[in-house]
Amino acid sequence: MAEVEETLKRIQGQKGVQGIIIVNSEGIPIKTTLDNSSTVQYAGLIHQLVMKARSTIRDMDPQNDLTFLRVRSKKNEIMIAPDKDYFLIVIQNPSD
Amino acid sequence: MNISVVENTLAEHYCGYTQCSGHAERERERERERERASRCHGNLVANPYTNTATMSTSVAKLEKKKRRELVLRPSSGAINVSVSGLHGSTRRPNSVVASYSGRYFSVIGGSKMLEKSAIQAPRQAVRVFDEGNNDVTPRPLYQVAPGAVQAKASWFFVEEIPGGSASDQTSTTGGLIMPFFRSVLGSSRISTQSTIESMNEEIENTFSKQDMPINLPDVQKKREIVKEQVTEEMLKDIIDVYLSETSTISLLDIPNTFVSADADDAKAIIERNSQYAEVCRNRMGSHKYVDHSVQTVNGAAKNKQVQSDSITMVDAATTVTTWDIYDTLCSPEQDETMHSPEPEKASYTEAVVDTDRATAASSLKDMGVFGSSLNAESDLQLILSSEKFQHCFLVMERSILRNAFQPKLAAYRQLPVLEDPDSPVRPGTVEQRKEDIENSRSPALKCLWAFSCELSRGRSVSSMAWNKKNLDLLAVGYGELHSSNQKPGLVCCWSFKNLMWPERVIHCDSAVTSLDFSSNNPSQLAVGMHDGTIAVYNVQSQINISHVISSSKCPDKHLGPVWQLRWTQTELSLIEEQVESLSSVSADGRICKWFVFISDLNCTELMKLERVHNKKKKAGGNGTEKKSVLSELTPGLCFDFHPLDSGLYLVGTWEGLIHKCSCSNSQQFLQTYRKHFCPVNCIAWCPLSPELFLSCSSDWTIQLWKQDHCSPVLGFSSTQGAVYDIKWCPKWATVFGAIKEGQLEIWDLSANILDPVIVQPAAPGVTMKSLLFHTQSDCILVGDSAGHVTVYQLKNLRARESNQVNILEGLISSAASRQFCKTQPDKNRSIPTA
Repeated sequence: MAEVEETLKRIQGQKGVQGIIIVNSEGIPIKTTLDNSSTVQYAGLIHQLVMKARSTIRDMDPQNDLTFLRVRSKKNEIMIAPDKDYFLIVIQNPSD
Repeated sequence: MNISVVENTLAEHYCGYTQCSGHAERERERERERERASRCHGNLVANPYTNTATMSTSVAKLEKKKRRELVLRPSSGAINVSVSGLHGSTRRPNSVVASYSGRYFSVIGGSKMLEKSAIQAPRQAVRVFDEGNNDVTPRPLYQVAPGAVQAKASWFFVEEIPGGSASDQTSTTGGLIMPFFRSVLGSSRISTQSTIESMNEEIENTFSKQDMPINLPDVQKKREIVKEQVTEEMLKDIIDVYLSETSTISLLDIPNTFVSADADDAKAIIERNSQYAEVCRNRMGSHKYVDHSVQTVNGAAKNKQVQSDSITMVDAATTVTTWDIYDTLCSPEQDETMHSPEPEKASYTEAVVDTDRATAASSLKDMGVFGSSLNAESDLQLILSSEKFQHCFLVMERSILRNAFQPKLAAYRQLPVLEDPDSPVRPGTVEQRKEDIENSRSPALKCLWAFSCELSRGRSVSSMAWNKKNLDLLAVGYGELHSSNQKPGLVCCWSFKNLMWPERVIHCDSAVTSLDFSSNNPSQLAVGMHDGTIAVYNVQSQINISHVISSSKCPDKHLGPVWQLRWTQTELSLIEEQVESLSSVSADGRICKWFVFISDLNCTELMKLERVHNKKKKAGGNGTEKKSVLSELTPGLCFDFHPLDSGLYLVGTWEGLIHKCSCSNSQQFLQTYRKHFCPVNCIAWCPLSPELFLSCSSDWTIQLWKQDHCSPVLGFSSTQGAVYDIKWCPKWATVFGAIKEGQLEIWDLSANILDPVIVQPAAPGVTMKSLLFHTQSDCILVGDSAGHVTVYQLKNLRARESNQVNILEGLISSAASRQFCKTQPDKNRSIPTA
């Protein structure tokens, strides 16, 4: 557990990382470093996006599955590691 | 909706004047009715709207004694269009009340209620007359057909009665009942409207002949539901329940048109069938049969309406995706494991897909949402401690770092560095970049990044080694080599995918002096330490890093620091596979080969490094060397195995001598190379040209030797400073790097043999300690005494042609020939131009 906390701190301290959110399987954020309203917004919207992405991948080949999703936008990059039980969302602005 | 039974015959007052007297009277009546109604228990009422007039008259005749008529005369010039409420007529004893369109509750007519109602004020039938004493009481717009089913008993007590048909009372009194309708619905009413007029006369006639209304059958008896209080005693009572069988109710009986061939009367039937077939055949031309037409009576068709409960329809839709089908097919196989995660998985898909999935999981969704807030904390703990999550974290961290270091990593991997399309372009930098491109034509080193972390800060790098299989993995050993206080050593395995934190961290007991990764088992790392222990670690997973084996218990272990380790592969003729063995050279003057013996390392000695006395000193002496009985061993500082023949190796000693030895001969050196007069710090065979090797020593020189020459072919020296490390560049045969105290030198023999091509000074206060070339890209790693491992990229080295080896060999041969020329002047060779 302590290692995980350490890793979390390290990630947070990396260059340009704006926030980290961990969401459980029901779409409820359980750990976050952003403020509440942003967190809730991100959690809800990203949940839907990941469901759609996963559905797309699996529709084409049911044995395949989504492992990582990166959304690059003008201002930042959202990286999502989805899983059955949780999502890990990190927002980074690498050119900071 | 509670609608009290309107026992009255009062109708809505339709006149336009709210103040008319009739209106007030109606109000009063209505009040009374309401009171009456409230006394009725559980009744439902509708407000009567219209009533018949003519009907009322006829009915009124029948029930005169029960009702009193209210006759309206025009007053104040207004024609009251009020209508008598014949609903009232329904309130007759035994009469049942109508229902009406819409969703009104049916009025309940029960005999009980009716009795009550009988007690109540008699109803009034309102008849309207105009000035000319004409009966203008409005007729009902709807009348129920006389033959309409009387007992819609089932409709009583039903909360909703859709449709507009009115139930009615006894057929005898006829369906003269006005429906209770409020709205313009009453489709049934509309449909029967056309028949109403025609039926009117008939009904009238029939009615006049009728008697008093017949009592309703018992079916319509008291329908009120009286709730009995269930008392405690009642619960304890033993109640006898009698079950009896009813007689068989035949619901449908279709007699068989087929008879089994085995039946008793089968024969008779078959005979009859055949006779009939005969008859049919003969019918055509026979005189026995005459065609005759017959008229049948057409039964009178009658419209019958039936009402039923409307079937509530609910739309259910579901989208099925390919993977859903696949999962369902595969899930029985994984049933046990999938049980608990399934509801959660399904439940969160529900959240997204709005259509109703007819799976059990949909009901779990609600449960899940409620339970989640309570479980959030425990969820977090569970998730954070799961392995998958940690792996997830790992990947995420690497992605983040890759983003952050993208240009540098791209340079390292020799990919074109892409401009970030979204970063704001600053005008100054564009020009600067152009300048850079023009200026930098001379070879240079570009610093990309440095591996360092908190753990390694302050510790000096002593050795580095590449992993043989995963070329991105680097092991770095930290340890103070020459200081008196020995801190416990550290080995960090760094990966190029995570530049900020090592993948594996191993704490060792004493300072680490040498490292090597095995090639047969790529996860095994051999670590040699300052106290002479050799330990082999398995770096597969961080959790169980512990040494697989260690030589600490071996009686023959090294007594001094293990200066170099090497895994070598030897081919045994009997077994045709490569066998790997670990060799080490240490300060106690022994070169040992290690093998595993009962889960411990044990060694055999390959060579003892005996101190070789200098022959020249003894020249004037006895002429023969005297070997002292106790031959001292001189510390060996470095060794290197021949790239092609792993039985051949070179050892550099403290004395400055380099011995060529063979694994098969542990008594004698094959050859000794003398040139250095200070400890030889490093020896390296040239990987591309196997006859050559380099050696470097603390006497500030680097010597290039050819295997069969006793003296070096070329010597390099630049500034004053001991050379600690030397490595050939694996890609270009003429390039090698050397670490001197305080600077890094890159020599390119094809360009210049007198001076290094690139000189990179160390950061102030920091001495460089160790050097490593990357096998595939043109990057150099340098470890220094502050614990940093800096990665440099070689730029603009002109040594990019493919025939490097030839150039090198040419150089060597020319240099060698010059030497020969000195010793053997008759051999004249032309010096080929490089």
